[in-house]
Amino acid sequence: MTLALLSVLVFAGGQLLPGDVGRAVLGPLADARAVAVLDHQLGVDRPLPVQYWEWISRFVVGDMGMSYIYRAPVAPFVASALVNSLKLAAVAFVIVVPLAIAGGVTAALNVGRWLDRVITLTGLSATVVPEFVSGIVLILVFGVWLNVFPITAASPPGAGLLTQIYYLILPSAPLVLVLFGYIARMARAGTVTALEADYTRTAVLKGLPYPTVIWRHVLRNALLPTIAVIATQAGYLIGGLIVVETLFHYQGVGGLIYGAAKSHDFPMLEAGILTVGTIYVFSSLAADLLSVRLNPLLRFGARS
Amino acid sequence: MSDSQRTIDAWRRRLGALDNDLIDELVAGRVDRRGFLRHGSMLGLSLPLLGGIATAFGAVDAVSTPARAAGNPGGAIRVALTVPAGAIDPVTIADNGGLTMLLQGAEFLCVLQPDLTLKPVLATSWTHNEDGSVWTFKLRPGVKFQSGGTLKAEDVIASIDRLCDPKNASNALSAFKGILSPGNTKKIDDLTVEFRLDAPYGAFPYVVSSDNYNCVILPASYKGDFEHAWDGTGPFKLEKYTPKVGASFVRNPDYWGPKALPDRTEFTFFTDVQPQILALQGGQVDLIEQLQVSGGQAILNDPRFEIIREKSTGHEQVHMRCDTGPFADKRVRRALALSLSRKLLVAGLFRNLAVIGNDSPFAPAFPMTDTSVPQREQDLAQAKELLQAAGVGKGFNVTLTTERYIEIPDYAVLIKNFASKVGIDITLNVESQDAYYGKAQFGQSDWLDSTLGITDYGNRGVPNVFLRAPLLSDGPWNGAHFHNKTYDGLVNQYGRAADLGAQRTLAKQIQELLLDETPIIFAYFYDYLVPVKKGLTGIPPIANRLFLDRATFT
Repeated sequence: MTLALLSVLVFAGGQLLPGDVGRAVLGPLADARAVAVLDHQLGVDRPLPVQYWEWISRFVVGDMGMSYIYRAPVAPFVASALVNSLKLAAVAFVIVVPLAIAGGVTAALNVGRWLDRVITLTGLSATVVPEFVSGIVLILVFGVWLNVFPITAASPPGAGLLTQIYYLILPSAPLVLVLFGYIARMARAGTVTALEADYTRTAVLKGLPYPTVIWRHVLRNALLPTIAVIATQAGYLIGGLIVVETLFHYQGVGGLIYGAAKSHDFPMLEAGILTVGTIYVFSSLAADLLSVRLNPLLRFGARS
Repeated sequence: MSDSQRTIDAWRRRLGALDNDLIDELVAGRVDRRGFLRHGSMLGLSLPLLGGIATAFGAVDAVSTPARAAGNPGGAIRVALTVPAGAIDPVTIADNGGLTMLLQGAEFLCVLQPDLTLKPVLATSWTHNEDGSVWTFKLRPGVKFQSGGTLKAEDVIASIDRLCDPKNASNALSAFKGILSPGNTKKIDDLTVEFRLDAPYGAFPYVVSSDNYNCVILPASYKGDFEHAWDGTGPFKLEKYTPKVGASFVRNPDYWGPKALPDRTEFTFFTDVQPQILALQGGQVDLIEQLQVSGGQAILNDPRFEIIREKSTGHEQVHMRCDTGPFADKRVRRALALSLSRKLLVAGLFRNLAVIGNDSPFAPAFPMTDTSVPQREQDLAQAKELLQAAGVGKGFNVTLTTERYIEIPDYAVLIKNFASKVGIDITLNVESQDAYYGKAQFGQSDWLDSTLGITDYGNRGVPNVFLRAPLLSDGPWNGAHFHNKTYDGLVNQYGRAADLGAQRTLAKQIQELLLDETPIIFAYFYDYLVPVKKGLTGIPPIANRLFLDRATFT
């Protein structure tokens, strides 16, 4: 239902954009007769409900339709962009999640001390730096001056896994900077709360070793809100990286959606947004399931 | 009588009235060497003949062959290119990225040269009847399409008919409107075609040249599937094309002319210019297809790169509504034009990589431009007097609507600042290109309906489009709503004129009329800039057309 509603909203919203497909293809100075012919060939001069119905009736059976602009099936464009976005998101996740959780927990275990302040302040400062600023600085320092990383995220055709990861390290760095402070703050807050909880005091008083207290009792409870935060970032990491994709010349879902919106390529736009919407839905579901798995209260509460 | 004089007389007897008129222009010194070559090539005179005439009259270097790279064959040229906006289809293509892709594998009847002359490519020569209403093109024999077919008259007829037919979604339709209709291109023999124009048109070869970038010649059987076959006659063959990502081409071993120097060319598509600059700085590409001065300072100042500077006739038009509002009085229009310091604009916006305009489309690069017409300079006192006389001495408010494109937003700010010095208070409304152009029809377009606006116009080999569409009373791009029967008459005469002398006479009248009326401010004509890695040579400085077949590292 959520995705169906989203598709209607995207379709309706797309009609509010100025211009039309024919003019987007032929350019602003094209003859009006040529624009009308192209609009007719593409079928975008038909009534809106007819256009929507034709598209949705195909989409539900797995046919994403033809791109108005590229005059080719949409599915390979979306699949290729999605694979690219998943790779970039995976590299960013693998770097930022352990780093941010470790940072947040370390800060919580040293609450009020200089280490806590350093981690918190660094995280917050990094979070507020826009990706286009950090991205350009990183490219200039590591790509142009030191020349240790390629400045494009797209690895050469046929590159192996390690090469692909190497190409994705620099582009993932701005994302790590943005997400580190956010996730670390949640991990710190959760850990501080868990450290002050009765069950932690009981575990300590009954003589459990400190690492066991932290690992089994504190982290398991402390990270529940962090998991929810991480899950909400999945959609952003897949579909919201237009700036990073542009800077690092990467063909991801964010750029695909932006380009489709600019050129009035409705089938491409719908497919891209519904792909990101689906990822949002499933990542939230996965976060809920993981929370239930980690929190017995949720499981038992549901049964009772 | 000297031998050379006798030879020239013999030539003159063989040539038509228009051709002899051009020679008279050269003899009288009213046309320079470049103009002689340019106009002679348009009339269909061969380069050796032009060379002989120019040499006989002392214009020796007029026919010097442009220096070509002496580099060795081999290697790869890597190019950063703006991502093509859509499918690569010669009929619909309208963007630089797509056009550059097209140029690698397909060819025109003739191509625009750096000096605005036309070089024969798939046509070997062209001639016209007395009034310029019928043009006959001889085609090059032995040219092969990459699918194996041989170029014939039928291919040319089908290619041009496809573009001028309103039943097709042709981006070239407006360029052919009123000039050539479908069905009026006839086969004379296998290698000769005849274009019967709707009306005499002196600059017709430019309409079927690279100046009209959709006009590549495709097989008659073309069905709109260019991306599948890339079936042109060009010096490169497609190796791989991935939409939105990049493309690579290899040398075409069956090319009819000198084989391309590079083994291959590799194009990487970028959505923005900044990553292109970084890619050039990082050594991942050898050149950027086009660089804007605004935003390109890092490259312009970097000694590792050279800038190929291509003089162009591309410009921004500042239109003022002549039918309503404050600019209905031409004194107010002139006042705004007089408030601008063109020298400062060119220095500030382009670091002097542009030339000053004189409020007409006749750029200094056009040989028919009459340079004796006085240049309009900044004159604040006169501007204030004009406003006073027009009854708006205390100034007025007006909105300047324009598009977010290259340097235009900065230009708008500078116009606002200059105008404020004479009491004109401008409010800026800078929109996306979609919003600005809208439906591109009167009543449905901020471009065509705004009181004051700025619009970008790209490079052209002849000024005809600039003179007609934005300025004729019935011009489809007449955002100024300029209606002047004298002007319409002059431009229609100009369109028919095929001899340079008549064109220059009309140009002077048009320039003076436009200076008086000032429906549009033409403040500058900017250069096209192509930054390349040092040592890369052989790229001809032709604005907005990237030909790589002679590119090589030396």
